[in-house]
Formats: sequence, C-alpha cells, structure tokens
Amino acid sequence: MNFLAPAFLAGLAAIAVPVLIHLINRERKVVVEFPSLMFLQRIPYRSVRRQKIRHLLLLILRCVALALLVAAFARPFFAKKHPAVATTGAREVVILLDRSSSMGYADRWTKARDAARKAVSGMTGTDRATLVLFAGDASVATEPMATPDRVIAAINAAKVSSEGTRFAPALKLASQIIAASTLPRREVILISDFQKVGWANHNEIVFPQGTVVTPIDLGAAAVADISVAQVTTSRDSAGERDHTTVAARLVNTGAAVKAVSATLAVGGRDAQTVRANVPPHGAQQVAFAPIAVPSGATKGAVRVTPDSLTQDDVLNFTVAPDEAVAVLVVDPPGARENQSLFLSRALAIGDRPSFRVDLKTADALTPRDFDGRALVVLNEVAPPAGAVGARLRAVLDGGGGIVVVPGGGRPETWPAEWRVLLPATIGAVVDRTADAGGTLSSVDYAHPIFELFNAPRSGDFSTARFYRYRALTAQPNASVIARFDDGAPAVVERTVGSGKIVVWASTMDPYWTNLPLQPVFLPFIHQLGKHVGRYADPRPWFTAGDVLDLSRHGELTAPFTGGRAADSANTLIVESPSGVRERVTATGAGHLVTLKEQGFYELRGQNTPVGSGRPIAVNVDPAESDLSHLDPQDIVVAVTAVNGQRLPGSDLNTATPKDQEQRQKVWWYLLLGALLLMAGETMLSNRLSRATG
Amino acid sequence: MTAAVSPATSFLDPTVLGRIGNLELLARTVVEGFINGLHRSPHLGASADFAQHRPYMPGDDIRRIDWRLYARSDKYFIKEYEAETNTNFTVILDVSPSMRYGAVPEDGRISKLTYGCFLAACLTYFSSLQRDRVGMATIDTDIVEYVPPSSKHLQHILHALDRIEKNARDSKVTPGKSSLLPPLRKLSEMFRRRSLVVLISDFYEDPEDIISALTHVRGRGNDIVVFHLLDPRERDFSFTDSSNFIDMETGEKMPVIPEYLRKQYADLIREHTATLSKRIGETRADYALFDTSKPLDGALFTYLAARQRINRVR
Repeated sequence: MNFLAPAFLAGLAAIAVPVLIHLINRERKVVVEFPSLMFLQRIPYRSVRRQKIRHLLLLILRCVALALLVAAFARPFFAKKHPAVATTGAREVVILLDRSSSMGYADRWTKARDAARKAVSGMTGTDRATLVLFAGDASVATEPMATPDRVIAAINAAKVSSEGTRFAPALKLASQIIAASTLPRREVILISDFQKVGWANHNEIVFPQGTVVTPIDLGAAAVADISVAQVTTSRDSAGERDHTTVAARLVNTGAAVKAVSATLAVGGRDAQTVRANVPPHGAQQVAFAPIAVPSGATKGAVRVTPDSLTQDDVLNFTVAPDEAVAVLVVDPPGARENQSLFLSRALAIGDRPSFRVDLKTADALTPRDFDGRALVVLNEVAPPAGAVGARLRAVLDGGGGIVVVPGGGRPETWPAEWRVLLPATIGAVVDRTADAGGTLSSVDYAHPIFELFNAPRSGDFSTARFYRYRALTAQPNASVIARFDDGAPAVVERTVGSGKIVVWASTMDPYWTNLPLQPVFLPFIHQLGKHVGRYADPRPWFTAGDVLDLSRHGELTAPFTGGRAADSANTLIVESPSGVRERVTATGAGHLVTLKEQGFYELRGQNTPVGSGRPIAVNVDPAESDLSHLDPQDIVVAVTAVNGQRLPGSDLNTATPKDQEQRQKVWWYLLLGALLLMAGETMLSNRLSRATG
Repeated sequence: MTAAVSPATSFLDPTVLGRIGNLELLARTVVEGFINGLHRSPHLGASADFAQHRPYMPGDDIRRIDWRLYARSDKYFIKEYEAETNTNFTVILDVSPSMRYGAVPEDGRISKLTYGCFLAACLTYFSSLQRDRVGMATIDTDIVEYVPPSSKHLQHILHALDRIEKNARDSKVTPGKSSLLPPLRKLSEMFRRRSLVVLISDFYEDPEDIISALTHVRGRGNDIVVFHLLDPRERDFSFTDSSNFIDMETGEKMPVIPEYLRKQYADLIREHTATLSKRIGETRADYALFDTSKPLDGALFTYLAARQRINRVR
C-alpha cells in the first residue's frame, strides 16, 4: 500500500500528544500524605482502577480515531503488480528530439543530435526507429520503416526552431506510434533539455504496457542567459515627423551580474546603443532616446550582446501608425436636425482607436463610399438596394460591420435580401412615454460590447430612459445582447460572412431615448464601433508558433486590399524570414498563416515590390528564456501507465478516473471508521461522565 | 439546659494560638478565658470547687473561716474546697505519624499533633490550677515519654509537649502501624492511684481494638475522657486532583481519584466516629470529637459544660 499524500502521515505524531499528556499527568500526579488509608482501602477496588481502565479505553479510541483520520488524509492506495517488461525481441524505438529554441543554448543541440545518432546506431536489423522532431508541435521526420541511414540523415538535417517547448504533442504522437507497433519491445527515447515550462501533466497521454521511456537530459547543468524579454513603443505623431520612444526589459537568469550593451535598430540600421548591468536573477529596464520613424510601418529590433542562447538576444518589433477605424454614417434624406450628431461626436473622441467618421445621406450614396469602411451605420435609413447594396454586402462579407437603427422608418418596405440578413424582425413602435419610459434591464456583460461595464461603478445603464423603441423579434441564429425591462430585445447581433450586423431598437439621438445624454453613451458607442468594426489592437510582434488570422488584422491587409474583400486565392503573399513564400487571402479559406520563424515576415500584394510590404515581426517564445529544469522522471512516471496501472515508481495521475477512484477509495472507509470511533468515544465518555458525576 | 457563652467571650482560633510560642502562655490564655466564661455562665457558678464546711479547729487559718455562716450560726466553720482534694490527672497524647497531618503553614493551619499539644497543655494547666497532680504520657506504638502525675510537674509536661512538636518537625517517620493497646496496657499498670485519664488521638484503628485498649485503663477504676482529633479534610475528603495517597504511618501508596471516593469515604469516617462515640459511651467514658479548625477554647468549653451536666445527672 502506498500513499498519495504521505506528508499527512506526519500528523500521526499528533497521537503522541494525548499519550504524552497522559504520561506527563501521571508523572506529575500529586503525592498526598494522608493519615491513614484504612478507609480508602475499604472502598471497593473498582472505584479507582476500573475508572482508569475505562479511561485507557477512551485514550485508545481517540488515538485510533486520530490515526485513521491521518491515514485517510494521506490517501492510501493499493498498487497492483505489473507484468514484466519484455527484454528480448525486436524493438520499436521512437526518438523524440527536442528542437525548441532553448536547445540552441551552448552545445545542447550538438549533444542532442549525437545522442539521437547513438540511439540509432545501437539498433539491430530487426529494430525499427522513428524520429519525431518537436518544439511547439511535433512531426514525424522519418517513418517507422525507414532505414537507420535515413534516420541519421534526418537527424543531420534537423535544425533548431524558434518555437517554444511543448512535450505533450510529441508524447502523444509517440504513444500513437508505439500503440500501432506489433514489435515485442517498445522504447521511447526523449532527448531534450527538459524545460519546466514545456510540461503540463496530461492525463490522456498513456504509453502502452511495457513501454520503456528513456530520457536523455541535456539541461541539467546550471545556465546563465541574458534575453530581451519585452519592448514597449510609444509613437508620437504630433510634429512633422513621427517619433517613437522605445524601452526594453532585459532579463538575466544567471547567478552573476551581467554587463551588456543593448542596441536599438530601426529600419534595419543601428540607431542607438546603451549599456546596462543586469542583476542576477533579475531584470533591468533600458530606455532609448526618441527617434524619428517613417510614416508607414517600420521594422525595429533591440539586441543585446550575444551569449550562449542567441535567439532570445534580439527582440523584433514593428512601429506602425495607429490605423483609424473608417465609419460611414448614412442618414435619411430630410433627417432630423442633429440626428447623427451625438453618434459622430462620440466616435470622434478618442485615439485608441480613432474613428474616422463620414456622413452621407442615403440618396447620395455611391458604391465607392463603402471602400475601406470597417463600419457602416444605417441611421434610420433602409439598407440600399442594387449596386450600392451589393457593395455594402461585400463590406459585410469582408469583415466589416453594419449597425442598423430602424428608428421610425418602415422596415417592411426594405429590400427582401436585407430583411433576411437582419438579426431581428423589426416590428411596431413601442411607446413607453406613459410610464416614463423603459429601461435596459437585462444586459449580457460577458459580451464584448458591454464587458467594459461589468465591473462595479464602471457605467450605469439604469438611468437611461427609452420612451420609444421598435419591437424586435430575434432570429434563431442571432443573439440578444440587451433587453428592455419589458423583455423586448434592445440590441441584437448576428454574424454574416466575416462581418457582423447589429440592430439597435431605439435611436442614436435623444429623439426616443435620453441615452445619448448619459455618461455611458460615449464608451458604449466606442465599444459598439470596435466590436462591430472588428477592430483589433495592433500587435508590434508575434511569437513563433502563433497562427496569424489575417481576417482579424485589417491593419495588416488594408494597404493591399483597399478595404475590399480579398477573396481570390492569390491576392496576398507572405514571405518568411528564410524566403519561403506563401499565398494567402485577407479573408476566406487562406487567411491563416503559421508564423514559425524568428525575424520579419513580409505581407504584400501581388504587385507590391519585394521589400515594400508590411513587415510582421516574429520572436521566439519568451518562455524559452526561462531555462528552469524539470526532472525527467516527472514525465516518465506520468506517461508510463499500463492498463490504468502505473509501472513501479509511477504515480496515479494518468490512470483512468474510474480506476483511480477504485484504488484510492480506501480513504472513505478510513474516514468512516474514524467518525464511528469518535461517535463511540463520545457515547462512552458521556456514559462515564454520567456514571461518575 | 445548654451551655451558653457570654457574647463578650471570643474563642481563640487555633491559627492564632499557633503563633504563641510559649505553651504555658498559650494554656493560660485559653484557660483563663475559659474560666472567665465559666464565671460568667449563669449555670455553672463558683460552687463547682466547694465541698463542705467543717468546724474550726485551733491551728486553722482564720482567713478560711466562713464569716457569713458565723453571722448566721454564731459558730466558726471552715470552708473546704474539692480543688484541694489532689486527684491525679494524666493526659495521654498519641504522637503517631498520622497525628502530624493537617499542618499548612502557608494557611496558618496547624496539625492534629499541635492541636493535641495545645489541648493537653490547656487541660494540664487547668488541672494544675485546681491543684490536681498532673501527669502526661505520649504514645505511638509504645510509650514514648511518661511524666508521672505530680503537683509540681506542670512545667515538665509543658516542656515535654514543646519537645514533641520540635521532634515531630525534625524527625523522620518510621513506617509502622501504631496501636493503642500495647502502650495503654503498660500505662494502666503504671497508674498507682485512680486518675482522670484524658486520651487524645485520631483513632485510626478498629473501634473494637480501641475499646479493648480503653478497657484496660477503665478496668483500673480510672475515669477516661477521649478526645478524638480530626482535620476537616479527614472528614469531608475535600481533595480535587487525582493523586497518589501515602499512608503516613505505613508508607503505603494508593492512586486515588477523590471525586469518585469522596462520598463513600465521608460515609465511612462518619460511621467510624459514630461507632466510637457509641462504644466508648458504653464503657462509661466520655467521647468528644474535635475539629482542628475549630477554636480550642470553644471546643473545651462545650465539652466541659456538657461533662458537668452529665456529672450532675450522675
């Protein structure tokens, strides 16, 4: 029998307490000189001694109850005997070779490849080997049927990646290979520096019975590394030229102070160098003087003096002007005075993001008015039909958003193709003037539009009164984000293509509601604009291994698509730092790019000259700079379970939940026993108290 | 008829008496106060000492002529007093180890032995005032010390009593169960005249053995008064903590949880004293139980008043 939490067994020492007290009390028992014991001796013997025996029984009951309680907390379980591991026959060997960024530290990669080659060279003719290279994800470099020569060649061709470390995909892949094998002996050789950040226990990874896991640890030695962990940029566009102030955070994982020089490079040229002493196991902030940058997106990098791990000695970033969200507000002909005033003024305030608002009347709309628009507000106007309507639909499909404010219009006369796209059927006007107006009573604070107001004292919608609004009936595929106090939907949203349509039941001016006069109006409109306009905060860099969703980063694709839906397969090109080109689209099927290499990717259009595209900075995973070491046995014992039972020395973490429960449920009985003993002890002590009282 | 004490009389607390180092002073303090109480008592009067008148004979001290009777009868009569009859008075004090129980100097409480010494000293002093011949014996398993009765032995006795206390403080206890029978048998043989014998003890012995021992003394025609001394805790067993109780005489040990035994013990000791009172009364001896926490002169007063009443009845 073993224990899951043996530390609790220390609690057994508590049993000594009542015993010690008993002994101490006995030793300290007062000695009383008494004239004569002749009368005491005449009193029946049981009056003295049997009480003592009963008390001893109480003491034993208490001690046993305490022991059972401690044992229950220690979670005992029974380990079963395991079948012996086969020692003869052909081997199925899976070599897991870590090629994460941290393997570039000093000579680890050389040693890793040597170890892999040695493992292959030790195989006989009937053995089979599979090479799995892993970092953030895992891939089979050679099939199981490959000859040793081909495996050796694959090892020689392998390179250190820029990605972080994740053991789980590699172990999962290895377990699948081993499970599919018919050979009697199965072995997994795990060659890695065993970074702690790469391991989170995964219960579902269980190697088949008899699998031998051999870790080869290359990261046990003490390490020291300087890395650029973070860069912050602040762009100032106030003057004639844009200026950027850059600050970097340097981290030292070594045990000694490290003097380094940090160099800021902008546009591919070194601009400034500062020197800094980074404390041991600490960080140091370095700030560079403001520097003029071009108006477009510019490459930048902060480098420190190269050390044993060179990949994290540089951090790339881009400096780009903030992209304004282009908003078109469409008014009806003969609109009320200041019908869009509150909306446009609210959007004009603020710079993160800034909204560029244009006003048009419905009768003056042209298809070109929608070019580059992220958000269109139909402010009490019907959606356009014909060519203009088709262009608006293209905006929607291309990831743009539409806010529909039906107001006092006649939705039943709107084009049918738009009525089916709307998230709600627009009904009659509800007049609440008789009861001083309705309020918003049910708001989905988990939704991006309202999440800003979730915290206490961060916005009060209850003071806003809605005297009139349209009765909305949400479509089945739409979601109601807010409701009035009578249960009628106030804000309804639906996703169409890559874009979103939102219907607002009241007006955007104080004609039907006093919401525009409330403090929450401005942040509400900003949140609405950001969400429906699909605005994403620009990222100065990405991490190797990230998947870039171009449909969510209009600021990257906008210079090459002009805001149009770039749905053709060859619209854009992404070129990696190593020169590998990939054709992508801003939206649609090919809008995802996996960023694997450290450096600058370049996104450009078909006709954009090489070097004139939008740079996208990619850095190694900052977690790779954390070289904290993991005990390889932690992984070994976690994955070497056989039919839900661990091999000797393993723990219970990867057994099936049912099996774990079966083997651990002893503690229930122990706890029950302890409770019964305590109940018995209480009854006995009560009886004794009554008898002696 | 009850013995009453003037409100002006304040009995002397044993703790106060314990602070008086001189036994004679102590005895005088107690007895004089006691006698004053007697004088003020409406029931006793001064006639206790008066015996008879006899005709005046040449050579008699003319100061002893009863002039009032002369006035009435025109004859000379001399007043004679019983106090001048010179009876033997012997106090026997049990000095066995169990008598040392009860001393708590911090609380000013005195042991049974000290209380017994006070009592013996007072009685001796009182008897000496009545011109009796006073003697004393201390006993445990045997006779420890014996002062034969004499009218001049008051100081001897007081010194002997004083030594008892000192010896009790200085000497160690030799284990052994004391018994009244052997020493009393010896003492009864040593009494040449009939005596008033006062026996002071805690009587941790079987009542029948005690009666047997007293019978030896009583058989010689001695008048016996038994003073049974007990500490309050010996009667109520007011201990609280579980303790190892050690017999002060035999050295035996016994673990005791007082709360479980208190009631049974109190019943047993009550039964013991009741048996003693009854059986000793049957031998025509006087029995008095003294609580060592109670004032000495008060106890004496109460006892002697009761004895006087009984004597009148006799």
